[in-house]
Amino acid sequence: MIHLQLFSTFETTEFLEIAISTLEKKGIKKESIFAVPLDNRKEDRKIFDTLHRSDGTSLIDIGMGLATALSVIGASIGFKLSLGPIYWGLIGAFVGFVVGFAIRLFMELVVKKKKRILKGKHSEIILIVDCEEIQAELVEDILWSHFALGVAKVK
Amino acid sequence: MDNYTNDNTARRYKAHVSILGTTQLHLRNPYIIAWWSAAFPGFGHLLLSKYLRGYALFIWEVVVNVKAHVNSSMIYSFQGNIDMAKEVLDTRWLLMYIPVYLFGIWDSYRTTVDLNKVYLLAEREEHRFNSFSIGALEINYLDKRNPFLSVMWSFFIPGLGQLYIHRILTAVFTIIWLVAFYYYSHAQEAVVLLFLGKVKEATSVLKPEWFLFIPSHYGFAIYDSYINTVENNKLFEKELRNHLTENYQSECFKILKGQKVK
Repeated sequence: MIHLQLFSTFETTEFLEIAISTLEKKGIKKESIFAVPLDNRKEDRKIFDTLHRSDGTSLIDIGMGLATALSVIGASIGFKLSLGPIYWGLIGAFVGFVVGFAIRLFMELVVKKKKRILKGKHSEIILIVDCEEIQAELVEDILWSHFALGVAKVK
Repeated sequence: MDNYTNDNTARRYKAHVSILGTTQLHLRNPYIIAWWSAAFPGFGHLLLSKYLRGYALFIWEVVVNVKAHVNSSMIYSFQGNIDMAKEVLDTRWLLMYIPVYLFGIWDSYRTTVDLNKVYLLAEREEHRFNSFSIGALEINYLDKRNPFLSVMWSFFIPGLGQLYIHRILTAVFTIIWLVAFYYYSHAQEAVVLLFLGKVKEATSVLKPEWFLFIPSHYGFAIYDSYINTVENNKLFEKELRNHLTENYQSECFKILKGQKVK
């Protein structure tokens, strides 16, 4: 019986767990699956949090705070102004958010000077699957169809 | 039904997934939390998932503020009309407002500092916690949601962003009070008038002391749904990585040192 190993990398998503569960259902033993969660690079911070990743650098915290403050003040003064409190409240919120956001952006980009090199998707977990040669194609299909970022077969 | 029965063997737990929502400890900036308490008493505590204190302070704020005419006085102050700002305040209600307002800010700041320490210890302890809950009324589990969608729904109606991430206790409370603020401030009527181009009528139909609650309500709902989506996502990732490390690192697994084949 010739054994093969399939090396693959994944993002941290539910699909990875579904892939593992599918492999087990197709007869791959738990002991033949090896997962290594990678530690993320420290300075690899993105400005915006997305569905795929977030690092606690929240650019909206000061923005939302200032938006609320200026919105209250804008709405108050707006009762006297021709556009009225709703428009002035919205203008206040917008200005506050932009100013707060700009402050945080400035802090991130200029003050902290963190490097932001990597773009796009990141390999976060290495998954190695040990299987017999006849199963290799099936395993590879399963890995790809659950959004593996890369797959390699080693014999 | 949960996937983990708590046997109280941990000294501290960092999260809990229940039918009503995902409660978690994470690092927070105490000044930001204190700021939300200043914007509206109770918001800081709601951000910390300390709902009973949050609800109590919030309801206190609405009742006493409206009775003492604090919002009206603020509006006059911002307009520079100091005489009216003094005149409009009801001294029968005013003085009791101040200590509770300051308490809200101070207590949420203090609690954040404490909870940050608790988080660090809980994180190091890495004890298992409940991460899946299914019952007759609801299902809650860890997964990834999009923070921008949380913000978008909160923009439409504060509370919907919280519903999206299954933060039921904040969602229901926020929506109920939004309806109250909209109703008593006549803000929706004013918006309809603005769409018709009747700016003057829109201004005159508004009830200022109720209208002034709305900006902070929106700000809070957007901020709360955003940061909690981000933190829930981080919790999901950590939990999955732990699961993989515990279950898929068999000692007898040998790496094949062969050649890469097609």
